[in-house]
This record gives sequence, C-alpha cells and structure tokens, in this order.
Amino acid sequence: MGFNLLNTPLAWGALAFCVPLILHILNRSRFRRVEWGAMHLLDSVVKVNHRRFQLEQLLLLLVRCLIPAILAFTLARPVLTGAAAPAGNTPTSLVVVLDNSYSMQATDETGSRYKAAVSAATDIIAALPRGSDVSVIAAGGAAHSLLDTPVFDTEAVCRKLRASDATLGAGQFRDSLTAALTTLAGMNNTRRELVVISDFQSADWADSTLADDISRQASALSFQPELTLLSVASDVAENMAVESIRLPAVPVGKGQPFLVRAELRNRSTTSGQVTARAFVEIDGDTQSVTDVVLASDSTSQVTFPVQIEEPGSHIVTVRLDVDDSLPADNQSSVAINIRDSLDVLLVDGDPSAEPLQSETDFLSIALTPFHFGGLKLSDLIATRTVAADGSLKSQFEQTPAAIVLANVPRLTEAQANELQRYVESGGAVLITCGSRMDVPWYNTRLFDNRSLLPARLGALKTIDSDQDGVHLQAQRFDHPALDYFNDPAHGDLTAAEFRKWFQLATASDASTGLDTGATYLPTRLADSRQDDPRAQASVLARLATGDALLLERRCGKGVVLMLTTSCDDDWNDLPLQPSFVPLMQQLVATMATRLSPQINLQTGEAAVCFYPATAEDTADSIALTLTRPDGSRQPVTGERQGDRYVLNYGDTLQPGVYRLTAADLPTEHFVTTTSRAESSLSGLTTEELDSLAGGMNAGIVSDATAYLKQDRLRRNGWEVWKIALAILLVFLFLELLLQQKFAGVRS
Amino acid sequence: MPRVHDVLTSGDLNKFASLQVFARQVVEGFCSGLHKSPHKGFSVEFKEHRQYVAGDDIRDIDWKLFGKTDRLFIREYEEETNLRCTVLLDSSGSMGYRGSRSSLSKHDYAVRLAACLSYLMLQQQDSVGLVNFDDQVRSYLPPRSRPRHLQSIVDSLHEQTPGAETELAAVFHEMVQKIQRRGLLVIISDLFGDVDQLMKALAHFRHAHHEIMVFQIWDPDEIDFPFRQWTQFASLEQADHQHLVDPSQIRAAYLQRLEQFREQLSRGCRRHRINLVPMMTDQPYADALASYLAHRRRAR
Repeated sequence: MGFNLLNTPLAWGALAFCVPLILHILNRSRFRRVEWGAMHLLDSVVKVNHRRFQLEQLLLLLVRCLIPAILAFTLARPVLTGAAAPAGNTPTSLVVVLDNSYSMQATDETGSRYKAAVSAATDIIAALPRGSDVSVIAAGGAAHSLLDTPVFDTEAVCRKLRASDATLGAGQFRDSLTAALTTLAGMNNTRRELVVISDFQSADWADSTLADDISRQASALSFQPELTLLSVASDVAENMAVESIRLPAVPVGKGQPFLVRAELRNRSTTSGQVTARAFVEIDGDTQSVTDVVLASDSTSQVTFPVQIEEPGSHIVTVRLDVDDSLPADNQSSVAINIRDSLDVLLVDGDPSAEPLQSETDFLSIALTPFHFGGLKLSDLIATRTVAADGSLKSQFEQTPAAIVLANVPRLTEAQANELQRYVESGGAVLITCGSRMDVPWYNTRLFDNRSLLPARLGALKTIDSDQDGVHLQAQRFDHPALDYFNDPAHGDLTAAEFRKWFQLATASDASTGLDTGATYLPTRLADSRQDDPRAQASVLARLATGDALLLERRCGKGVVLMLTTSCDDDWNDLPLQPSFVPLMQQLVATMATRLSPQINLQTGEAAVCFYPATAEDTADSIALTLTRPDGSRQPVTGERQGDRYVLNYGDTLQPGVYRLTAADLPTEHFVTTTSRAESSLSGLTTEELDSLAGGMNAGIVSDATAYLKQDRLRRNGWEVWKIALAILLVFLFLELLLQQKFAGVRS
Repeated sequence: MPRVHDVLTSGDLNKFASLQVFARQVVEGFCSGLHKSPHKGFSVEFKEHRQYVAGDDIRDIDWKLFGKTDRLFIREYEEETNLRCTVLLDSSGSMGYRGSRSSLSKHDYAVRLAACLSYLMLQQQDSVGLVNFDDQVRSYLPPRSRPRHLQSIVDSLHEQTPGAETELAAVFHEMVQKIQRRGLLVIISDLFGDVDQLMKALAHFRHAHHEIMVFQIWDPDEIDFPFRQWTQFASLEQADHQHLVDPSQIRAAYLQRLEQFREQLSRGCRRHRINLVPMMTDQPYADALASYLAHRRRAR
C-alpha cells in the first residue's frame, strides 16, 4: 500500500507546527510583570502543581503543534494508493463501446436505456483529463465507429452522442470489442481504457467464448487496457414482438393469392395471456386484421391471405397493436417483387399433333395450370412452345425468363452460341433428356466447348419392363426450388417411377467413351477446384441407384439445370404424379427468378439492385434517390455493367425499408432486418455479469458516478482527507477540552 | 495639614449622616438612647427646649425658665455613649495592590474606609482610636471621642504607606496588651497570612471581650484572577519572591486555593463570632459601608 499527496506544495504547510512552538517561547520570554499581593495563595498553588503544570503545558503544546500539521496534511489531499503508482491526471485514450441495439430503446418510467447509456458515456467522456482522446464504437447492427478517427475534442463527442439514437439492429459485441481493442492499439496515450455500456442482454452476452476471446485479444496487446462494464439494464420484461415474416418461396405473380405468415412472440414471463390485434399492410394500406391471443413466453403464428394486383416492388408489413416496453419490434416488414408474368420458352424436340404426345405437353400444362383449367386466376408463367428449328436463335434473342430444351436433338452452332450468350448474361435454361438427344453433341458442344451442360452425359440406363422402376432417393433438399418438398404435405417426389435416364459419364469416359461407375462431377466440388469451369455443377436430386436426376450449373450470370430423364411420360411416370405440377413450377420459377438480387437482407449486408439497360441507354450511370428507414434521402448512382445498371449500396446498418426511386423507373425496395433476439429484454444475472467481467478481467460499475469514483480511485488512490479532517476536528476539540480542563473552566 | 475633606467627599459625608451604627453586642461604656448599655450615661449635654405636653416627666421641666416665662418647657439633652472603637489598619505590602479595574489600591481603599468609620463614630460621640501596622505596630492613637480627634486620625492615616511584610498574629497579640478596655475592634486588612495564627490572635482579642468587625479588603483581580498571558507575579512584600506562570493554567488551582482560604477565614470568624465583611475595591467604599451598617441595623 503506497501513499501519495495530491497537493504536495500544501504539505509544506505542516511546518506551521512551529507557530504554536514559537508563540509558546515568545509568551514565556515576553511575559507581563505584576506586583502581586496574594503571593501566599500563589505559592501554595505553584508548589503543589509545578510538575503537573509542566506536563499539561507540554501536552497542550504538542496538541497545538499537531493541529496545523494535520491541517496542512488534510489540505494536501493525502491518498492511499495500490502497489502501482497512481496515474494522476495523465491523459487517457478511451474507447467507449456503446450498445445502440434496439433493445436499448426499451423504456421504463425513468426513460430509455439508450438515453441512460448516452448520459453515462457523456459523463465519463466529459470528465477525461485534458489531452485525452476518445473513440466510440457502436455495437448495434454491425460494429462501427461513430467517429472517423479518435478525437481530442470531448465536447464534440458528447454533442454527437447526444444527437444519436438507438438503431433497430442487434448487438454485435464480439466484433465491437475487437474493433475497440484495435482502435485502442492505434491510440497514443499511455493510459488506455475501454468502457462497455450496455444493457447486457442474455442474447448478446451469453456466449461463453466471448469473454475468453476478448481477454485473449487484450492480453496479446502490447499494453494492458483497463476494461469496465457499465450496465444500464432496467427491469422491463413486458414485450411482444413480430419475430419474422415468411413469404412464399416461389415467385408470386400479379393477382395471385398468397399467404403471409408472421411469427408473433410474447416475451413476458410474468403476465398472463395478452390479446393483441395484428395487421398486415401492403405498402402501408391495411389488407387484413386478426386478433391473436398469446400466453406468456409463447410464440404464435398467424397467416394472412394477401393478393397484390400491381406488379413490381411492394412492402408487406405485419404490425402488432400493443402497448409494451419496446415498440420497435412491434412491426416487421419484408419486400416482395410481384411478377407480371414469366415468359418461358419451351423448345419441343419431339413435337406431336396428338394430345399429350408432344415432349412439352405435360410441361406446358404443369407451368400454366390455371390457363389449362380455364380458371380466372392468372398463372405466373406464360409458356411459348416452339419446335427446334431454325427460328430458335431469334427466339433466344428475345430473352425469355427461362428456356426449356426438351429432348432437343441438337442445336446449330449459332443457336448454341446465342444460348451461351443468353445464359452468361443471366438467363436460365432447363435441359430435359430424351431419346432424340444427340448425346455426343451435347457432351462435346455444350459441356466441353461451352461449359453449359452441368455434366457429361454417359450411358442410358434402362429398367426392364418386368422390373420395378427406380424411385427418387428420399432426402432433404437444400435447393430453394426443392425446399418446398421437404414438407410432406406438399407432395411426395419419391412416388414417381423412373425407367430410363442418362447416367453421368465417369472420368474414364472422357477418354474411352461411355462407361459405368463413379459419376463425373457428381456433387458440388470443393472450393479448390472452382477454377475448373466444369466444377460449377451440383446434384440437386438423386435416384435410389445413386445416379443424378437433377443437376444445376452456374454459367456466367445464368444457370443451367439438367433433368437426366424426360419431362414427358416416356421414361417415367413423373408427369402423372400430383407433385409434377409444383415441381415444375418451383423449378422453372425459381430458376427464372433466383438470380435476381436479394431484397430482404440482414442489416449490414450490401444491397444490390439491377435496372435493365436498353440499347438506347448510353449513359454510364443512372441517378437514383434512396430513402432510408429514418426518412432521410440520399442520391445514389447505378453503374452500367453490360446490359444493366447495377446499384451496390452497403450502408444498411439501419434496419427497415429502403426505397429506391428514379425518374421513369419503377420504385424498388429492399428491407434489412435484424435478429429478434434483442426483443428478449432479460439481461444477465448478477452472477453471470460477474462471471463475464471476471473472464474479461474487467470491472463492473452500475453508473457513471460509480465509474468516475472508481476512476478517481485508480488515478489517485483512496483519498483519506476526510479521515484526516476528522482527526483534525478531534484534535481541535481535544485542544479546547484540554485548555478548558487545565484552566478549570466549568460550564 | 490634611483635612477631613481631603479624604472624604461631601457625598460620602452626607451618606453617613443618616446612618446609625448599632453594636451587635452590649459593650461596656457610657451610653444611652439607641445603645443598649447596662450602664447609665453620665455625660449629659443640653441640646434644646420644647413645649411640655401631658405625659412628660415633670422632673424634666425647666423651672427656671417657667419662672421667667410662666410657661412649661421640657429640657432635652444630647445623649453620649462610651463605645470605644479602635480601627486596626493593615499597611503591609500586600495592601498596596491595585488591579486594572480599580481606581484605588487596597490600602487607599482601607484608608478611606477607616476615615469613614472614624468620622461616623465621632459623630456618634464614640471614642475612636487608630492602629497602623504591618509586621509590627507603626502608630497607635488611643481612642478619643473629641471631634478634633478626627484630624489626628486623618493625619495618621496619611502618614502610612504600604510596603513591609505582614505579621498579623504578632501585631494582634501585641495590641491585646495595649487595648485593655473592652470595645469594638475594626480590623481593616486583606488578612493575608497564616489563617490558624490569625484566628488564634483574634481569639485572643475575643478573650479580652472585644467585639471584632473585620473588613477584608479584596481587589477584584484577586477574586477572579483575570490574567491570560504569561505573567511574572512578584511579591509586594519580598523583593526576590516571584513566579513566572501561565495564568490560564493555574487559574483553577488558584481559585480553588482562594476559596479554601476564604472558607477557612469565614469558618474561623463564625466560630469566634467575629463579623467578617469582604469589601471589593471596585465597589464605592462608602456605598459598601452604608450597606453593611444597614445590615447591622436590621440584624439588631
């Protein structure tokens, strides 16, 4: 335990102990002389008490000497310090990790958590010694610094903090703490501190590896930062939230009814059932309302039937009308693109005048079921069937949404070139096999020369008529087009029997011809082989024999799918199965639309928007206006990339709806959402917080006042001037007491 | 030659004119009237005539005047007493103290007090004597009742200056031998000295049937010891006798010792039926004396 004085010069005042001593000596030497009569009284008093008087004088003199010495000691502000020398008022490099996740918007009667956090941060920053530099890392949405560089103007930092608000993003504390330590490492002051101000939600901080990770990173630094956790958690637990909104996986066409599924959750663990009214809104207009009853700590799913007549980009919002602590999560939005119709070109390689004898008859019916059934409902897909003749090139040039090559024997070189251009520019092609296919031509021209075919075709596998056909291997599908069939209620693909299909060529087939054995490029390849253009294929579905049935390959910006069997009932009974219609719908629609950029994103993900460019568009860029979730607008630019303008926008930390508008162009939307784990307002328990702080080797404070007190203690040690003052008062009282006692004064 | 009015102011004299001294005890002497003496007075001096009224003693009728005027007049006489009062004035060095709050030293005060008493006694036709003493008797004026005796007393008072040591007991023992006729002894002193010896000497007086009245003269400083800064107390009686002390430190002990001293004196005087009257020099001495005499009158 060390000892230090904050006002050392004042300690010299202790020399004032000489004053009573000098006064005593002066008094003794500069006495008054009195001619006295009653000497016989004085004689006896002096004689009897001589020694006692001397002792009393000495004691009184000692006390009087100590009083100025203790006073000087008190004014010098004595402090007890630890083993290390106190930092005093040396400048500090401070990084504040500020939780601005949306749970910080939780409000109780004292105000929001975020305001409390900002207040604490500004108090701490304002109290920094002169010459200190500050940086603030916001942990909401994605870790990012509120300041471009650490700044010395603490007032400016405080102003910026007061003007800020909590985001709708989730807390990203691992990234934030890492960024904070990196920032600290780049700062210059010897003394470096890291203060984390958060509500310490369980969802954000319960990760057991977080503390060790941060501790390891901190210990790897060349300096030892002082970490402090400041909790602004408040006792609010009543919260309902729209957890998520699910739209149909398949593209939706104009006028097509579809279901919006919303998951609602009551986070309260104390109250009973809560009745709330849920609204679904399309572009702000309420379409449907329902009442939902939620028990405490329970989840419910509500389904809203919705129909949108106008094609284009729309916003679907589900909103809960409920009064709770955190309004921010009472609504959620998603963007949806309503398609006008998907123009699908069916190239029939085996046309026939007979009903259902043509290669594409079943497929055409499956892709336009409403039209075929004479229903008023409109189909998403509009098919055009053409024969594989000389007009194909011009058909390809019309850039349909998707092209199906059904049992097409072969293409001309020009047609193949046009097909390649179409695919590489973002087109989608489905190749279905059949008996009329020129397999060597496909292998040579489309696989070897143009890298369009997902895999080299091998031998034709045939199942004898006296044997049972082969079924699809039961499996869980990862591909979006087949994800629909993971739910058994949507149909059973394994019911279909397959009797003929092309096996994929093995590696040896590449040199020796067709052979059976291991398939060539049967599964998604490892990243190490991605430099091989042929390695861009993957198997989406297999037969029970292990042979690939459905393959996919990326080519340029487009995609090619290949069904190794026919799309009519010649080689299998798949077209006769109930699942054929949804399968074909899913395959073609997904294939035709999946290459569109994602419009529902996580916060922080970059948004991409395409605007088609026509031949008349010669400009290198187009000017757009982006309206952000908070209503602010900013100009953005779409750059020309080939036949389209592409907008890349990365500042999506703010969750919500972003709207892109431009003259003469349709409005586009994209929506960023964040994890709803923030909706759980319960924080770490005291034990968990202690454990977290222990793991990070950090201190815990309850508010800014406690932090500043702790900081003063760390800087200056434990101030004991109050004790010294108490001792001084005791001595003053003692002096008075002794003086009165010695003088015999009685009240 | 000093005169009475050099010592007493006209105000003082006026105050005494209306006061009476009443002895607490019956003393031997020639007195009549207010003094309760077992002996008839023989010294009767004519004062005035007044008209006879029924009930008057016919022996007091002035028959000569009746013969001249044919009217009855009563002769009235001035009464006399034979109270013998001796004033013993302490002129030792300790009586020379004068504090900052007093206009007179204790001795000056005592001189004035003695003069007042003498005047008062002589006005009452009592005999007054004066003894000046310190460690021995310096002067002695035997008691006389003549009015001109006052001048002698005043002369003697003026001759005394305080300075020598005090030796009360020895002086008092000596005076017992000199004052053989019983009477009133008025001792004006600070009584500083050994209390036991003093009491023995006073008892000696009492044994000789003297009535004793002691005016103990105090300076206020001696009562409350007001000194604060370091002080060297030098004796007024002995040249090399001094103490350098912090007065605030010894004050309590001094006051305790003072109280003890006064208690001893008071107890001793009560035992010997001696009237002890403390007087402060900052009090107007004439007022203090008048208050005391009034008290004696009420106690009669």
